[in-house]
Amino acid sequence: MSSAQIEIQLIASLVAVACAIPGVFLVLRKMALISDAISHSILPGLVIGFFITHDLNSPLLILMGALSGILTVVLVEYIQKTKLVKEDTAIGLVFPALFSIGVLLIAKNANDVHLDVDAVLLGELAFAPFDRLLINDVDLGPKSVWVIGTILLITLSLLIAFFKELKVSTFDTGLATALGFSPIVLHYGLMSVASVTTVGAFDAVGAILVVALMIAPAATAYLLTNDLKKMLILSIIFGVFSAISGYWVAHWLDASISGSMTTMLGLVFLVVYLFAPNKGLISVVYRNKQQQKEVQLLTFLLHLNNHKEESERHINHLNEHINWHKVKAKSVVELAEKNNMIVIDNQIISLTEKGKVFTEKAIDYIITNDDSKIESMKKDFFLFRG
Amino acid sequence: MKKIITLIVILLAVGCGKKEKKENGKLNVVTTTTMITDLVKNIGGDKIEVKGLMGSGVDPHLYKASEGDVSKLFNADVVIYNGLHLEGKLEEVFEKMEHQNKKTIVVSDVIDKNNLISSELFASNYDPHIWFDINNWIKITNYVSEKLGKMDVKNAAFYKEKAKVYLDELTALNNEITIEISELPEEKRILVTAHDAFNYFGRQHKFNVVGLQGLSTATEAGVQDVQKLAKFIIENKVKAIFVETSVPKRTIEALEAAVKSKGQEVVIGGTLYSDALGNAGTEEGTYVGMYKANVHTIVDALK
Repeated sequence: MSSAQIEIQLIASLVAVACAIPGVFLVLRKMALISDAISHSILPGLVIGFFITHDLNSPLLILMGALSGILTVVLVEYIQKTKLVKEDTAIGLVFPALFSIGVLLIAKNANDVHLDVDAVLLGELAFAPFDRLLINDVDLGPKSVWVIGTILLITLSLLIAFFKELKVSTFDTGLATALGFSPIVLHYGLMSVASVTTVGAFDAVGAILVVALMIAPAATAYLLTNDLKKMLILSIIFGVFSAISGYWVAHWLDASISGSMTTMLGLVFLVVYLFAPNKGLISVVYRNKQQQKEVQLLTFLLHLNNHKEESERHINHLNEHINWHKVKAKSVVELAEKNNMIVIDNQIISLTEKGKVFTEKAIDYIITNDDSKIESMKKDFFLFRG
Repeated sequence: MKKIITLIVILLAVGCGKKEKKENGKLNVVTTTTMITDLVKNIGGDKIEVKGLMGSGVDPHLYKASEGDVSKLFNADVVIYNGLHLEGKLEEVFEKMEHQNKKTIVVSDVIDKNNLISSELFASNYDPHIWFDINNWIKITNYVSEKLGKMDVKNAAFYKEKAKVYLDELTALNNEITIEISELPEEKRILVTAHDAFNYFGRQHKFNVVGLQGLSTATEAGVQDVQKLAKFIIENKVKAIFVETSVPKRTIEALEAAVKSKGQEVVIGGTLYSDALGNAGTEEGTYVGMYKANVHTIVDALK
């Protein structure tokens, strides 16, 4: 590994952590799209910065970019407060407007200057290790490490200082106001952090990767936990893992680094989406199947309970009576037997004591539709869960 | 959190420890555009290991780096680039490379500022497509071979010799092109293209160059631009307009449709190489071949 390669992974990991923290709050507040919005709406800021300085390399351009990022947030908040439109609509209204103002300004006043976002922000991880910070000709390492490191440090200290406030205001705005924290101040604070992080990270890694690093790790972590602290830690782990593994995929394919990292983020999300223990696709399908079986079992037991006559309870005629396939009928009978709800005597099925109690309780529930009845049932009659 | 910080510290520690470079005895040169890659190959021959960052047909504005470019730059002794913001933010990165024991050559440095075409509104911003004036390219060839000679003294004579051969080729090209263009009467020398890449070409060969789109790729041609240009084409009886390899055809096709809707015939005269050469290995994959191909296309279509 050359030092440039290590530095790229270091920068990517720092960006991943710096993006994951505001990303978690954005995802929880259903404002994930704001990072994409900011990465577009910085253009008018850059253009105005250029009109002031006439210099594409001036840091003022980046500062103006961050300011127009914050302006996006303010406008989104303002439109959303009217309650006429929802958050995502407000975001969708604001950033194309700001971006197009930038395009119009270029078309009107600077058509013969090569001015666009790429001309001001580097946005390419492959070159980040060569963009050094030099003070008095002393090489202090890649500039991005310092920029992102500073942003990360500020984000972390704000997170630690205001963790409780952020938590309450994210989940319960009313309570936050009642407790005396201003949700609006926290909201703007959070959004400003997101804006500065987006612009800083944009310079280091490019627009798409910034958006992906803010949203994908947080969305992935949300599938696994509802605990805010765990969600933050998991997002950071997913972000850093995707960044480093993505780098090696790029190395192996000789492809775009940020493209590979974004792909890894998508893959990690896919894997978790499929296999997450509670919210994952496979576990949801499995749970639905179980519930279906429980309902079938109940139907079967009710049938037995309703018919005292033996002909209705003969094992070979079961499928006719309840209109089930043989396989399905067999699996339900097996389940009931395993749970000691029935006994099969000479091919005639009868309910056991336990089966009777269960069925009565179930009828009770169906008649009264009282949730408290079914609650205790689940505990008493474990079925699959036992 | 702590684990990650530890990981970063370890990565940093490892990072500071290692600094090695591949050595093959040759000068490792990294170039940006295909034009410069071709130039350095001609001067350096087998004494220089040239690695170009941008491939054929790649618009420098739209160039995306791959992971391999990191090693190319890391192992480079010399970086040669166009300058004048053609490479955008990358130039700022290259400027700092001097501190990492890499030398840089900016080919546009040798062209006198008064000779550059500047932006009307922002005087310090220049049109970067300097290679389309052959006289510029001749100056650049001299400059690059001289600089390379200083950096690699033992091969200086070799570079000078190779450069001389190449300069003869360029002079021959210049003569050939001048004769070919002289077939075209001056009032027919109107070059309509997608973006403003051919201003230097126009100045050298007395063409009136009109670009539909500005220099920036963020903006697109407006409806008014298309209408204005269509009117211009009709008034001046322009026979053909041109597409470029590295710019989408769409805008030029819109222009064609606009002119035709007003009842005048205009054809798309062919594809010009603007910001990149053709595929490596073909005739158009070299500067000389590219220039000839462009002039053939232009003269044939406008005759």
